[in-house]
Amino acid sequence: MSILEIRNVSTGYGEVQILWGTTLSLEEGKLTCLVGSNGAGKTTTLRTVMGLLKPWEGQVFFDGKDVSRLPAHAKAEMGLVLVPEGRQLFTDMTVEENLEMGATPRHARLHYAQNLERVYEMFPRLKERRSQKAGTMSGGEQQMLAVARGIMAEPKVLMIDELSLGLAPVLVLGLFETLRELKKLGITILLVEQNVQMALAVSDYGYVLAEGKVALQGPARELMEDEHVRAAYLGL
Amino acid sequence: MDFILASLADGLLLGFIYGIAAMGLTLIWGVMNVINLAHGPIIALGMFTVYLLFTFLGIPPYVGVLLAAVFGLLLGIIIYLIAVQGVIDAPHLSSLLATFSVNMIIIGIGTAIFSTSPRNIDLQLWSVSLGPVTLQGTRVVASLIAVLVTAALYYFLYRTRQGKYIRAVANNRAAAELVGIPSNRVLALSFGIGAMLATIAGALIATFLPFNILAGGTYELKSFVIGVLGGLGNPVGALVGGLILGLLEGIVPTFTQTTWVPVIEFVLFVIILLVRPNGLFGGEQ
Repeated sequence: MSILEIRNVSTGYGEVQILWGTTLSLEEGKLTCLVGSNGAGKTTTLRTVMGLLKPWEGQVFFDGKDVSRLPAHAKAEMGLVLVPEGRQLFTDMTVEENLEMGATPRHARLHYAQNLERVYEMFPRLKERRSQKAGTMSGGEQQMLAVARGIMAEPKVLMIDELSLGLAPVLVLGLFETLRELKKLGITILLVEQNVQMALAVSDYGYVLAEGKVALQGPARELMEDEHVRAAYLGL
Repeated sequence: MDFILASLADGLLLGFIYGIAAMGLTLIWGVMNVINLAHGPIIALGMFTVYLLFTFLGIPPYVGVLLAAVFGLLLGIIIYLIAVQGVIDAPHLSSLLATFSVNMIIIGIGTAIFSTSPRNIDLQLWSVSLGPVTLQGTRVVASLIAVLVTAALYYFLYRTRQGKYIRAVANNRAAAELVGIPSNRVLALSFGIGAMLATIAGALIATFLPFNILAGGTYELKSFVIGVLGGLGNPVGALVGGLILGLLEGIVPTFTQTTWVPVIEFVLFVIILLVRPNGLFGGEQ
């Protein structure tokens, strides 16, 4: 069953159209990745789903409801959460305050203590730095916090924009491992990723976006075998 | 020497109240990057609230302060919804003009109703003598209330969820939306609290100084100076800034005419802006 569906969405910034009728759908409990070259519209897709950008045409359905016109905070309340590109932490607030803010949706507030414990188990480093201001941490730690803050919202669908960007390979492996754990918890994940190989390796299903449209889609394993994907994105 | 001490004590006590007036201005700036040019008239409305409640209904001035606070909160929210909300993402000039219009409207209506003749609440409390210095009870009580208000604001911003929402929206409004914080509602509340601090300051001043509908302007200007002294958006910094300004006002009249006070204050303002644009205590930015 699809929990999130983007139907024929076109949008852009000002006069510049970025998405030209993008259609994709996420199956509940699965990890789906969205790959494509720079400027293909990956981030724009996530921003539109989240409500930071309004669709010019088309609709976004979440949990069976048309949420195309809802503001971002209402979607977070419903369980649709975005870990944005560039992390967007509350840099002047402490690590723990960031996590507390992550738990703003009502259902997440009820389980705050146990979610906090779980997140600290996943990322012991964050526990060590709980009283430190988020802005003073290293890039890798900030990315952990961004993901952890997303988890604190107890999302039904967690969308992650550029999980690995600018991080050391060791950290990237750790974060991808975290994705597997999240999937086990039953969270549906939409991953946007530059590192196509790794993204396809952990995903169940994949979409390749090109020039604002879905160019190719299929089970991640099949995409990895696809001649075109191998040539264009995997450099093989 | 005695005169200097007395003047310093008066200045210091007044400084606490300058501090909360400035907190109101800097809170709004810190959260939404809007300079509230209606700050002065809102302070004056706080003065009139206490005055009218006392004069016509016989409500004790300190109860009046509480009611003025509630009035300020509601007024601020209404001003935000009507005049500020629509221009919040526009360039600064738009919000300056919007709040300036509110400023003119309040002063216009206020002048029509109350004229500009001076009013005062004849409130007599005890006074304490410490050697050569006599402290008026009204001023002591007012500064104690100001300290309490500062502590309450600090507690609210750092220990409560609603307060943390305000800090989160101030820090990164887009991120706040993403985690589910309804940022527009938080902005309205912040504007309300900013206005509430202004009416409390005005209400407290009215318990010991005469005033009219234009009287808030002076305190608005002082709030700007204190804002850059203490760093915009920092309640404790604003209190310390208020005390520094109060002390300065206590010292200056001991060696020259009082009319020099604003000159010196604004020279200070310009110097700080040039040397430490984030304020004396506003470290990072």
